Amino acid sequence: MANQHYAMVIDLNTCVGCNACMAACAMENETPVWSNRWRTYVHDLEIGSGDEIRRRFFPRLCNHCDNPPCMSVCPTGATHKLDNGIVLVDDDLCMGCQACAMACPYDARFDFTYDDVRQGREFYGALHHRAGPSVDKCSFCAHRVMQGLKPACVETCVGSSRMFGDLNDPKDPVTRLVASGVAKALLEHLGTRPNVFYIGDIERG
Amino acid sequence: MAWKLPRLSRRDFLKVSGAGTAGLSLLSPIGAMVNRATAGTQGPGEQLSYSICNFCSSLCNIQVTTRTVGGEKRVVKLDGNPHSTLNRGKMCARGQAGMRQTYDPDRFKQPLIRVEGSKRGEWKFRAVSWDEAWDYIRRRTDSAAIKPWEWTMIGGWTSCVFYMNWSVPFAMANEIPNIVASPMQHCVTTGHLGTDAVTGNFNIHDEILPDYDNAKYILLLGNNASIGAVSTCRVVRFAEARRRGAKVVALDPRLSETAAKADEWIAIRPGTDLDFCLAILKEMLDKEYYDAEFLRLHSNMPFLVRENESGQWRLLRDAEGRPHALRDGSDIPHALPAFANSNLRTAAGEAFYPVLFAPADMTHEGKRVITVMQAQMEAIAECTPEWAEATTSIPAATLRRIANEFGTTRPAVIDPGWHGARYGNIQMARRVQAMIQALNGGIDKEGGWLMSGEFHHKAAAFVKAKAEGRQLAAPLATLPGLEFANMVIGAVSRGENFSHGYPGWSWAYSAQQKAAGKEWVALPVMADEGLKESVEGKLQWKDKPYRTRALFINAANPVRHYYPDTYWKDMMMHPDMELIICLDVLPSDTTPYVDVILPSSTYLERDEPNLYGNGVNPDLGVVTRYAAVPTLYDTREAPDVLLKMTEIISGNTEGLINSMETLTGVPAAAVREAYARFQKAGHPSAFHDACREVAFEQTAKRLHLTPKALDQALREKGVYYEETWRELLEHAAVPRKIPAMTPSGRIEFYSNLFESLQDMGATAPHFSVLARYFPATCRPDQGMEQPLGDDEFYFAYGKTPTVSYGSTNSNNPVIAAINTLKKDIYTGVWMHPERAAKLGIHNGDRILLTNTLSGQQAEGAAYVTRQVRRDTLFLHSSFGVENPQLTRSFGMGGTATNKLIPHTVEPVVAGFRSQEFTIRVARQAA
Amino acid sequence: MYYATQEIWTWWLAAYLFLGGLGAAAVTVSILTDLYFKSHKLLVVWGCLGGFVMLGAGSSMLFLHLLHHVAVIHVMNPLILLRKPDAWIAWGTQFITWMMVWSLLYALPYLREMPLFARMPLVGKVLQWSPVTWLSGIVVKFRRVVGWLAVINGVGTVVYTGLLLQSFPAVALWHNPGVPVLFTLSAFSTALAFLLLVLYLVVKDPADRPLQVFYERTDVIVIAAEVVVIFAFFQYTLHGSESARQSSQLLWTNYGWVVGFVLLGLIVPLLIELKAVTRGWRGHGPMVTAALLILSGGYLLRFYFMEAGVYERPYPPHGYSAYRQIQGPTDRAPVLTAIENLQVVTEK
Repeated sequence: MANQHYAMVIDLNTCVGCNACMAACAMENETPVWSNRWRTYVHDLEIGSGDEIRRRFFPRLCNHCDNPPCMSVCPTGATHKLDNGIVLVDDDLCMGCQACAMACPYDARFDFTYDDVRQGREFYGALHHRAGPSVDKCSFCAHRVMQGLKPACVETCVGSSRMFGDLNDPKDPVTRLVASGVAKALLEHLGTRPNVFYIGDIERG
Repeated sequence: MAWKLPRLSRRDFLKVSGAGTAGLSLLSPIGAMVNRATAGTQGPGEQLSYSICNFCSSLCNIQVTTRTVGGEKRVVKLDGNPHSTLNRGKMCARGQAGMRQTYDPDRFKQPLIRVEGSKRGEWKFRAVSWDEAWDYIRRRTDSAAIKPWEWTMIGGWTSCVFYMNWSVPFAMANEIPNIVASPMQHCVTTGHLGTDAVTGNFNIHDEILPDYDNAKYILLLGNNASIGAVSTCRVVRFAEARRRGAKVVALDPRLSETAAKADEWIAIRPGTDLDFCLAILKEMLDKEYYDAEFLRLHSNMPFLVRENESGQWRLLRDAEGRPHALRDGSDIPHALPAFANSNLRTAAGEAFYPVLFAPADMTHEGKRVITVMQAQMEAIAECTPEWAEATTSIPAATLRRIANEFGTTRPAVIDPGWHGARYGNIQMARRVQAMIQALNGGIDKEGGWLMSGEFHHKAAAFVKAKAEGRQLAAPLATLPGLEFANMVIGAVSRGENFSHGYPGWSWAYSAQQKAAGKEWVALPVMADEGLKESVEGKLQWKDKPYRTRALFINAANPVRHYYPDTYWKDMMMHPDMELIICLDVLPSDTTPYVDVILPSSTYLERDEPNLYGNGVNPDLGVVTRYAAVPTLYDTREAPDVLLKMTEIISGNTEGLINSMETLTGVPAAAVREAYARFQKAGHPSAFHDACREVAFEQTAKRLHLTPKALDQALREKGVYYEETWRELLEHAAVPRKIPAMTPSGRIEFYSNLFESLQDMGATAPHFSVLARYFPATCRPDQGMEQPLGDDEFYFAYGKTPTVSYGSTNSNNPVIAAINTLKKDIYTGVWMHPERAAKLGIHNGDRILLTNTLSGQQAEGAAYVTRQVRRDTLFLHSSFGVENPQLTRSFGMGGTATNKLIPHTVEPVVAGFRSQEFTIRVARQAA
Repeated sequence: MYYATQEIWTWWLAAYLFLGGLGAAAVTVSILTDLYFKSHKLLVVWGCLGGFVMLGAGSSMLFLHLLHHVAVIHVMNPLILLRKPDAWIAWGTQFITWMMVWSLLYALPYLREMPLFARMPLVGKVLQWSPVTWLSGIVVKFRRVVGWLAVINGVGTVVYTGLLLQSFPAVALWHNPGVPVLFTLSAFSTALAFLLLVLYLVVKDPADRPLQVFYERTDVIVIAAEVVVIFAFFQYTLHGSESARQSSQLLWTNYGWVVGFVLLGLIVPLLIELKAVTRGWRGHGPMVTAALLILSGGYLLRFYFMEAGVYERPYPPHGYSAYRQIQGPTDRAPVLTAIENLQVVTEK
């Protein structure tokens, strides 16, 4: 059976900026809400000049690139890419030099410190699964995906703005959006070959 | 970057080394990640249960994942229930973060009593046992000799939605005629009653969920809370509309989340929503952008009217009170059934097809007679697009275009709206919105306003019973729409219903004001109008003093939700106020002013004592809550608290249980038996458990299931669906198949409800039986279009998607973190850069806001943005919490709306005119 | 588009890069001098021990900066190079480790000859241990091999610091081959300056005059090459991508860069050394000054390079709360627009 090539498409036309994805990700992945660092953000951007103003809600996360600069700079091999395309950080191997955070063009990574581990134990109680500090980032909820589920952010997205699929499946709606060029990736000129694609806002007359 | 070196992937490596998925659990952290099982599947030690979200009135169905670790069962994750056709497996940030309310260290963990000698307003409480708390309440009640009418219950929206079935029987059994419900003067009776006057619905959100899925054109007037800020069950449908290419037009003085998703954002001047609506209505009527068939058959547009002595239009009625209409080419009025869904038959049973326009010069008994349609057109003759342009600042051509687009694109939806208490004329604007929707024929139809499954179910039963000439039993549980409202009003507004003869003090106050020739409120339903006077000894009923000396606050935060903040603080701190009890989960801005705090469990710790319909879901279904985790603290459930309070206040616990049977149909004998049984077994909330058991029995019976089978179905899927909306529309579409719950059974352009209020003596333009114009007055003697001072602004406020209006949501650490991230936008006072520049205000500057009408002042931080009209200030109402016990909310900054809004109400329902003033802004010295 | 610098690797990491380049180049130059110019015990001891101390200090700084210190073990194992040959920190760790080992070994025979070390309490004893004595003998026999092992690792260390910065693709200022060239040149320039200081202030042997002159002439060439590379960077960033232009703005409007590094760290020492190698100076004063300026310039170069790296993204950096769109410069915008217009923001 062929490998999957997981990707996400985000439709900016239906993101209402409710931040549900941020909350869902935090609860699913036990991220450090106390120090206000997240695996995914929904930015609230103002675009346009004069009175032609547009308000754009822009969700963003790790792009799980096919050519990830974070992986090549990682000296311990902690950052690695699964066959299904998901780029993960092995907490045990990661020493936290943060070269990956420097290399990432998408600002996808943050530091999870000793203090965060301590606070996490308090906050999440006996459920807390982190053993030690490391660099953290979105994992496309690999633990869910590998059980045939969608990432938490996709699952909860009230506007169904986030879509998740397998680019190796020609029938997948995500594949069609990407193949048709309707959905475009970010900073492609850098050669990272990202796997998060965006459907731009409809032009207003 | 990455060199393409052949290398074993970690997964391959693990596979090769013989560690399958199960074996991965041995290798943390991947193993730990795989172990973290998820929605739909369970990992080791994980369980799924179902519940209903508690953070807004969308009432989304949720799926709860719990895990037992070290003997402790903990909530791991919340998700939307994938089996729910209401929210379709989705859930917003508030819901997703919900479990952190259960685990919030700021929660009340046991009963608290005010420390002897401390003052209300001071946070000085001591922890006590429940017995001691009850003892204290009993002693205080007895020693102060508090009479039943001197009690007032205050309930928030959760107690309205979930505990109406206990609150009203409680009121009846204890003869307490006073219930204040915080949603009333903000939404339910203000804006919503306007919509409901036309459609006949009532209760949660007009019992309407627009079918955005199938709408081709969506028009929104403000109503950001409905979509973007955020109602999951509506957004899931709205997003579908966007994907299908529906055109969305959003009018809002600022670029809200919803307006950001519109094809057109039209920055309408605040306070001119009615102006806009009337211009659209007029344009649609003039140009015949309407479904004439629908109007003829299912509305009262064809009914004949003539003016009465006071110059008000009145329906032409015969001795039996029946309305009349005309056939084509005839000027003989025919009587139509007083209550029917259609005008296809006369009262005599003849086939009929009414006209919308009477012949010119038609008279009856010397008076000019026209149709409601004609009268309506006359009433708004001035409301041209040019006229509206002046006040709304929207070009007339745009208004015409919108009217055309809305009127000729079918199906189209104008969003019915949420919060309605902004200007005195919003209720009228909502009436007009409903009329506009009705002109399109989009009532209870695909792509239009769909009524809830629960409403259809009740309405069908009501109509059937009425046709058979009998009354429905258990009116509180069975009456639909306005019938329900009438019943509740009837119950508490008439002193005759109580042995002591006192009606609710809000009704007594209205009578007192009216008698004194002062401004009075016609329908102060569960409103706080008159409470202050009662507390202060300024209220009389039939020459006897009507004091209020005790308050019971259930899941409500009146200090924050009512205006101004001092209104309730003063009442609660009044020396004659003997006893204030509150039942709540978290501290709020109200709790420092109470005497006794009783801790309640959170929604995740609770089996609901009842089963409910699925909110506004047009599909008919049954839902309930299952406790996901055992109660963390020494908490009790509301029914048991009410039972105990009954014991203390009147001793009439038997009456409470009997009243429950009479009003809600829950068999008293079964409840008693179950209650005794659970008490014997030592359940702390035995009454609650008994009610749940009996509720299950009753509902199962209705569904022709055993209670066990029903329980199993609900445990497996969280929702049990009886009928889809398409199936329901086949036989119960309102008004195409069955009558609406309006007095006439038709969609009412001519409002019988407002006619009855006019007949009571209400003369303000708000009570007009037809849509008519009266402006918002933010400044005395100045229209909305007149220029403002250099430092003067109109005021608008709204909701963040993360915090329900003024709720303690803001204390949730996940929510607080998101709010902190977006602090500028969420907690700042929005101001346009051009105005800010003239006032020397930069982004982040501290500013002082002064209400020009009341002199109230509040501070804020400026957020300079082009996303708001130049003449308008906007802020989010979610912040400005005062109580430091809410450790994360306090110190978020922001501006509390209750510091800026005075106690100014409109005369229909005492709805707050919470934006009807201007604000002066000054930069504060650093 | 939003433009932002970063605050993950700042002055602390710049110190590591500086010490790494300086220390490794000092080892390289001192050993090559000893092997091919003239045998020079003190120079080697200062160069190798100095390098050892500097790399030790720099590595400690890097170690302390880690989030999860214990896991550093995963990069210390040389086999990591088989798993992650694309990771420059992996290479760098090995280069540094082995350079420190081989350079210490190279200096070992010299250390044993010096009374200063013989007299030290524990060190003196260790230096006379039989395994150490035996080791020293091996080194003497295979002096060239050991030396070259140290030199190769040293050069590897020097060049790796630049390759590391080059491996971050999002920042135009860093992601180009000029950076390894620049850092290498700078490292050798600072090493020469350091060794000149040692010769002038510590060794003070008139017999070293030819060596000093050699170093000074070499340094003139190296600094001149650096000036060329800096100029190339100036041109590259001035008319380059948005990220490059923003970096250019940050650098060339900053006194620390212009005066601190370019003027005082490059031009002035270059001129002093030019005079030193042509007409000559009357005392050491000017040369010592130049050497100190070169050293401070070496640090400032790396400091400002870290600070001026600009990321271009369609959203602001995480944790930044005032979301504003940059009114981006148009085609017609003047080359050096005022910094205020560009709203370059820093993370965290």
